[in-house]
Amino acid sequence: MKVSYNWLKEFIDLPLSPEETAEKLTLIGLEVEETEEFGSSLKGVIVGEVLEVREHPNADRLQVCDVDLGNSKTQIVCGAKNVAAGQKVPVATVGSILPIKLDDGSNLKIKKAKLRGEVSEGMICAEDELGLGTDHAGIMVLDENLEVGTPISEIFDLYEDTIIDIAITPNRPDATCHLGVARDLSAALNLELKKPEIKSGKVVKDSDYITIKIENAKKCHRYVGKMVRGVEIKESPGWLRNKLKAIGVRPVNNVVDVTNYVMYELGQPLHAFDHNTIRGKEIVVKDFDKEIEFETLDHIKRKCSPGTLFICDGEGPVAIAGVMGGVDSEVSDNTANILLESAYFDPGSIRKTAKEQTLQTDASYRFERGIDPDLQAVAADRAAQLIAEVAGGEVTDETINIHPTKTGTHQLTLRKSYVNRLLGTDFTTDAISNILDGLELTEVSKDEDSITFEVPTFRPDLEREVDLIEEVGRLFDYNKIPSPGHGIFVSSEPINDWEKLNQKVRNTALQLGLREIYSNSLISEKDAALYGDLENMIPALNPLNKDNSTLRPSLLHGFMKSASYNFNRKASGVRFFEVGHVFNKDEEGTYYKGIKEEVHVLFGLAGMKHTDSWSKEAESYSVFDLKALVNALFTKLNLIDHISSKASDAETLDYYWGDVKLGSLSIPANDLKKSYGFEQDAFVAELSVSAIAEALRVIPERKFKAVPKFPAFEFDFAIIVPQVVTAGALMNVIKDKAGDQLESIDIFDVFEGKSIGEGNKSLAFRLQFLDPNKTLNIKEVEPIIQRIVKSLEKDFSAKLRG
Amino acid sequence: MLDDIKALEQEIQNFEIKNEDQLEAFRLEFLSRNGKVQSMFKNMGKVPKKDRAEVGKAMNQVKVMAESRFEDAKTSLAQNDSKDLSAKNDITLTPPSYPLGSLHPLTQTLEEMKSIFYRLGFTIADGPEIEDDFHNFTALNFPPNHPARDEQDTFFIRKSDDPKVQDLVLRTHTSPVQIRLMENTEPPIRAIIPGRVYRNEAVSPKSYFLFHQVEALYIDENVSVADLKETLITFAKLMFGTDVKYRLRPGFFPFTEPSLEMDIWWGSEKEGKWLEILGSGMVDPNVFKSAGVDPEKYTGFAWGMGVERIAILRHGIDDIRTFYENDVRFLEQFN
Repeated sequence: MKVSYNWLKEFIDLPLSPEETAEKLTLIGLEVEETEEFGSSLKGVIVGEVLEVREHPNADRLQVCDVDLGNSKTQIVCGAKNVAAGQKVPVATVGSILPIKLDDGSNLKIKKAKLRGEVSEGMICAEDELGLGTDHAGIMVLDENLEVGTPISEIFDLYEDTIIDIAITPNRPDATCHLGVARDLSAALNLELKKPEIKSGKVVKDSDYITIKIENAKKCHRYVGKMVRGVEIKESPGWLRNKLKAIGVRPVNNVVDVTNYVMYELGQPLHAFDHNTIRGKEIVVKDFDKEIEFETLDHIKRKCSPGTLFICDGEGPVAIAGVMGGVDSEVSDNTANILLESAYFDPGSIRKTAKEQTLQTDASYRFERGIDPDLQAVAADRAAQLIAEVAGGEVTDETINIHPTKTGTHQLTLRKSYVNRLLGTDFTTDAISNILDGLELTEVSKDEDSITFEVPTFRPDLEREVDLIEEVGRLFDYNKIPSPGHGIFVSSEPINDWEKLNQKVRNTALQLGLREIYSNSLISEKDAALYGDLENMIPALNPLNKDNSTLRPSLLHGFMKSASYNFNRKASGVRFFEVGHVFNKDEEGTYYKGIKEEVHVLFGLAGMKHTDSWSKEAESYSVFDLKALVNALFTKLNLIDHISSKASDAETLDYYWGDVKLGSLSIPANDLKKSYGFEQDAFVAELSVSAIAEALRVIPERKFKAVPKFPAFEFDFAIIVPQVVTAGALMNVIKDKAGDQLESIDIFDVFEGKSIGEGNKSLAFRLQFLDPNKTLNIKEVEPIIQRIVKSLEKDFSAKLRG
Repeated sequence: MLDDIKALEQEIQNFEIKNEDQLEAFRLEFLSRNGKVQSMFKNMGKVPKKDRAEVGKAMNQVKVMAESRFEDAKTSLAQNDSKDLSAKNDITLTPPSYPLGSLHPLTQTLEEMKSIFYRLGFTIADGPEIEDDFHNFTALNFPPNHPARDEQDTFFIRKSDDPKVQDLVLRTHTSPVQIRLMENTEPPIRAIIPGRVYRNEAVSPKSYFLFHQVEALYIDENVSVADLKETLITFAKLMFGTDVKYRLRPGFFPFTEPSLEMDIWWGSEKEGKWLEILGSGMVDPNVFKSAGVDPEKYTGFAWGMGVERIAILRHGIDDIRTFYENDVRFLEQFN
């Protein structure tokens, strides 16, 4: 909200500069986002007389003028075509500052300059350059009778102010007006608050000029009406226009300007009806159980859902309550009699309507935060008084007050012990009273241990003891609360296994030379559909756009997109990893029924492992590069001895812990790569960290084993098998038959060729056997090998190769 | 005699040996059986007895020098030879590149925050990114239809008119994990909660619809604003340097009362400005009640900050979207 420094000063004798005021406001919780100068006193801008105009020798569009400034004569280069000898013109002399914003936010300062070789000492100004109007067609020509050298500030009614823009937090409806901000300042600075004098009218329930009815007292707590008769609608006087313009409100006419003025002054939104347009001389506040179409002041026909609160006259709706008035009852140039509306509407109801209409007005902004329920009559009286002042007319004596739902003040007790316990302070109750003084809380009782306050109606946020403690803290200034400087040592909380696992996954990826990526969790339906059935995925109901509508079912899309992004930027290869949440439908669910939310890790390689160099030829990544990384991860996680893998097809290898699938390694199909616009080889492995954590919870921690004292016995053999038999299947049998002494298994040769027969291949295995207690010899190993070979012969028609 | 020896010494030193031929020529000239060194020794007979010791010593020195000159030249030629054998035997050639892993800049910033909190004795906790309305809003003292909800534009996953069925949302902050911690553990609780959060906001260089937060929670008997302040200052000093200039000011968050924000001075004394780095406060009694913790017995503080915001500050990054593009040329600057 924009707050005028001048306006604040009407309520309190501020000893602070605008900058100091802004700083203080921020420190008491009214955060200032920026301060801005409004208008200018135009110091240094004076009346000059153009004596002679010459063409600029080096520039077609410029002219060189000799100007009489009274005490001196000077030369000024001017670009305006309308400049002519004999004119009286406003001249910004060297050193003066004009209300023209430069790129860096500062104002233009006039300096002595040379323009294309001609000296220019000052600037002859256009209307807009002085902030006196919008005209920029040429320089401003002044009354020829003005005396040369007269300051411009003596000729025009200039207005200068500093505007302080405050971000009002939702808990401070009281601070949405100048009086409220001034009140906070007065409390913080211990200064007196000078409230405007308002003469109150005779409060009545009805009157002969209007009947007011509230049908829904839940949504409208109070409705105050006040008449001003015989007004003359015209432009507001300068002081009113300036004040509104300074805070960014466009002046409309004297009546509307006053309603706005009072809202910014006291915080009560007001509406002015043209009394003559009110049919049946009746105001009814009600909602409907059907949808209503209504044209608001901004000439938009709006569909309002059932339950929207309206102000109606004898025939139908004339305003959406608390949000915006209608076109028909608007104050016009011909309006003579004004009916002022000053009401209290339920914050929730206004909020709902404003949201539905996506229409936040200054009024709805205040109503939905909760205005002072005790303010309506005061504000109506104030506005009526001001309207009579600026628009003439006669204020009716009565103030009609329909008040079905009353909000009283309430009492709050503040315990000294709780204040000090929560703030870490050592205040007495007297000290607390002093700090809170100025907030207009009424002390009902006080002793050494506690104070009971009556809370004014304009502070609906002060509901609980703790809310008052916040007032103590913010007015005292948190920066002044002493830090305890306590505790040399802290008793640290242990780090849990889940975090340790996540750290280990990341650290391993880092050790393996993978780069971490962060990709979007919300992806397009089109992309998501590449990875499965959309039926099983989870969409956002209100996505930002089509590209970010579905929660990622896996990390694959992120990798493919990032690979493609980098290939398009001439990267030769990528090696990425990512850790993140993925989402799928699942009957049981993880945290919530129906939604499986897990943490996955992805390793992905694509493109060139290395490019051409003098030492090596270019090489693409292979699936085995990735498989090696995955095995390294399983090794680091102490899982390698507990998992099995199975090829579900030629492009996919699934990893299992018992029956639990931990994830897969796969080779993206050409079609998939094509949809990302690249052809390079790509390999991805994605594992569920959540599933791994479950496995590790059960798998015993690895125990230390003494380094073998005896050497391993190595045995090589090759077998011929039909090509369809996979190495993995063979190794599973070998492991099964080899027994405990098998230390490692490796394939050192793969061969196919005519010599071993069509449709066959040869695989050469190297097995290492180890016995912790002795050196093994061939006699002990041979029977094991025979056992293995026999099984392979039986299961796979394998033949030992000679 | 001594002059002759000196002259020979000079001759040996000046003899040019740049290749194998010259090396052989040197050997023949000086070190062979009839070479000049042997010939020199043959003249010993002519030396008067009294001078023999001195002359002998000088002759010996020349011999040693000639031999060592020969050996050095031989070694050096041998080395040159082997170099010349292959163009690839050049240590100045470029090596193949080695794949370097790297943590994402956001992870790096987060890790730094974590390490500070570990030193302060905090543990780490996490929770789901899809939360129900209770955990994300109501339990955190955001009443239904409260304007505070507007400040966090929300993605909905499930919306229900049935009041018994909770709406599901993409969490708008990491604070729901506070509720989970309080529901599942008895105080004292001291944990940080890092994680991804979502806001349904238009994308711009300054804002993205997802970002990352770190939340800190400390609940015990008699935790006060003074303790909070102490922790905030310690954090700011460890994160931004011990000479960091900071200020605390009141703020508003539905789930804390009182609420405070911390600004640090960023930039030079004159050109700099206050930048908000985190929001904090004392856990609101309503939050305690929602999570089943007795607010008369326990007090606590909570605070949260954006990881992107801090990373942007530290690295001078001008567009938040850069974090999610995964351009290798960006990532490799954070090796």
